[in-house]
Amino acid sequence: MIEVADLWFTYPEGTIALRGVSLRIGDGESIAIMGENGAGKTTLVKHFNGLLKPQKGTVLIDGVDTREVSVAKLAKKVGLVFQNPDHQLFSSTVEEEVMFALKNLGFTSEEIKERTNWVLKFLDLEKYRERSPLSLSGGERKRVALASVLCVKPKILVLDEPTIGQDAKQKRKLGELLKKYQEEGNTVIVVTHDVEFASKYFKRIVVMAKGKVIADGPPNKVLTNPTILNESSLTPPQVAILSYEIAKKINNFPKDIVLFNDLLQEVITRVKR
Amino acid sequence: MSYTMFSAFEFKRKDTYIHNLDPRTKMFMTLIFMTVALLFTSIVPLLITFIATLIPVLLAKSVKEWLSSLKGTTMLLVFILVINSFVRDLNFAVAMVLRLIVLITAFSAFFLTTHPDDLAQALIQMKVPFDFAFALSMATRYVPTLAREAQTIMDAQMSRGLELQRGGLTQKIRNLIPLIIPLIVNSVRRAMSIAESLESRAFGAIKKRTYLYQLKLTKGDFLFLCFLIMYFVTMIYLKFYFPFTTWMEWKLPL
Amino acid sequence: MVLIEIKNLSFTYANTEEPAIKNIDLTINEGEFVLLTGPSGCGKTTLCRCLNGLIPHFYNGEMEGDVIIDGLNTKEHPVYELAQKVGLVFQDPENQLVSLNVEKELAFAPENLGLPREEIRKRVEETLQLLKIEHLRHKAPYELSGGEQQRVAIASVLTLKPKILVLDEPTSNLDPKGAEQVLKTIKKLNEELNVTIILIEHRLDLILPYTSRVVLMDKGEIILDAPPYEAFCSSIPEEIGVDVPVSIKLYNELLKIGMKFNKVPLSTKDAAELLTEVLK
Repeated sequence: MIEVADLWFTYPEGTIALRGVSLRIGDGESIAIMGENGAGKTTLVKHFNGLLKPQKGTVLIDGVDTREVSVAKLAKKVGLVFQNPDHQLFSSTVEEEVMFALKNLGFTSEEIKERTNWVLKFLDLEKYRERSPLSLSGGERKRVALASVLCVKPKILVLDEPTIGQDAKQKRKLGELLKKYQEEGNTVIVVTHDVEFASKYFKRIVVMAKGKVIADGPPNKVLTNPTILNESSLTPPQVAILSYEIAKKINNFPKDIVLFNDLLQEVITRVKR
Repeated sequence: MSYTMFSAFEFKRKDTYIHNLDPRTKMFMTLIFMTVALLFTSIVPLLITFIATLIPVLLAKSVKEWLSSLKGTTMLLVFILVINSFVRDLNFAVAMVLRLIVLITAFSAFFLTTHPDDLAQALIQMKVPFDFAFALSMATRYVPTLAREAQTIMDAQMSRGLELQRGGLTQKIRNLIPLIIPLIVNSVRRAMSIAESLESRAFGAIKKRTYLYQLKLTKGDFLFLCFLIMYFVTMIYLKFYFPFTTWMEWKLPL
Repeated sequence: MVLIEIKNLSFTYANTEEPAIKNIDLTINEGEFVLLTGPSGCGKTTLCRCLNGLIPHFYNGEMEGDVIIDGLNTKEHPVYELAQKVGLVFQDPENQLVSLNVEKELAFAPENLGLPREEIRKRVEETLQLLKIEHLRHKAPYELSGGEQQRVAIASVLTLKPKILVLDEPTSNLDPKGAEQVLKTIKKLNEELNVTIILIEHRLDLILPYTSRVVLMDKGEIILDAPPYEAFCSSIPEEIGVDVPVSIKLYNELLKIGMKFNKVPLSTKDAAELLTEVLK
């Protein structure tokens, strides 16, 4: 469980990135943190594994204050995957890349082997085991970067902009993998601009603007609210626009559908009636 | 940490007399302040020099920025103070610290108020080849980007349990590998990508390039240059022809 | 008028075995708005690089076939000459903005050509006005939002007055509002100045209503080249993993249950109108 209470953070050059954020994330949740560039999303998630320590307020991970433990210690519980895979890949093979975190965190060689095998299988990377990560394509590198954090099996997995540079198929695959990992009882948190991805795979949307949380709720409530979207430079998902436009003309047609299949079912039942 | 160090000397756009001076005028200014600082070794004349150097900083309304660049060098200043008081005496040590402060102030007064692109343009008009001037302006343009990138790489690897302080000396050096390799790989990728974009904008099309801006010395520049020369002549006179009066040789009451 | 003519083009990068693109034949007329899409690694970016001569002049490798841009064969003309016909805009604005002020950024390309100062000034002013970015003129890249940065990047190639604009995923790094601004700018250039557009883009929902043609690539080859309503009604996009816009996806599903419509909805707005009719 993550408990953030009245968190403030200012960068040395004077930018106030967080202005009193309070947030509670329970075990096993699936959350998308959204908002425009510079809203403070990345600054917030860097507090989850102690890369940044609160200047005011507190961040508790399972009751432990992040100020009192090292990043390495928190890394066992909170895995943070950065946006650009090239900021972390450096090993000569994919296998070594994955083993790096496991070795740093002091797992036994038995466990290292087992977890490496598990993660390569889970992310469909077995065929690249001996390849150099740098020789892989962008989408594959992104999966290796994910593997290099996921191997620890963190109870809380955080991904910063995981869909940038991914095509539709890769996004779908990623969305499903994250869903699977979450359904095994883990918390999955993404920071993203991608309204389509967020509305499809995540149950709770946290919207940030100018260092504050301005909305927090299910996709169909948050991503269909014009005031919230306007304040955060987001646009509604296409399905929501469609449902909203239809609802304007058709009596009691729901105006907050965000999932394609829900919309399709709604239309079909009405047509058949 | 690294980020603040770079931002201390970073140019900030403001509309003041000093900001609007020609970079060549300001280059001359820094050169004169440096020369004068190197002429003297006692406290009082260096104090006068320091006050003179402070004038452009005040006129540029950049006191805050100047202080933060000084703050970045505190360690160095303390080091110089300690070493020199051991080697010579406290008087000399204080003078040397003052001299360094003058040098830093002279450089800040230049870099805090001069747009890097204007600097490049000034160099070009001083007959420095375009490629060189352009490389310089690109370097200043991308320093903050690289600093930010280095920070992100460090964060990413720490998130994978890397502890830089762990182990003996060889281990500590080995700890840097996960930082250095991504930094190199990214810089090369970035360089390729920048080169591609430059090519696509006709970079290097012909030898004789034109420039949108052309720097011109204005009345303000000439006025400032006059003051500089007057100041320089006075200081030279003080140094070589004017027998130092007692107050100029004043020492700390120890 | 034919502006781009690609004949039997293949290219293999140095130190690789598989060709990145092969057997490409493509003819594009002045004023067209072409959406180029396909799964990642399909060769879209390589094709873009062939259009302004970065291939074969900047990238090493083996090139077969010909690319003729407004009468110039790319093999015989240097990049700076082709750059005046084809403006290329890339994904990451950070790597395209090399000056510390917008005006200078816009002047950079014409300066490289050695144009007279008055002409450069004129082009810079025109472009600032056209893209409505006059207020940004003295700003440094890091003072701009992502959408503004990318519009400046577009402006910085427009000062070469190219007839063709090629944009390689220009909105990937942007938030939705920034992306919308950039796409609107592109549409405006096409409609008002008749600039020929070749756009690689994943946000099909927003851009499809503007496009006149969809070119789909997979594994280095063009596998489909058709008007938008035709391209997305076929099953090919789904098969190669390209997202189908919601409006067309819904249309396809409703066809399956036996409903009939007299036109294909290309935009969400079209789809809303169509469905409102049906549901009334």
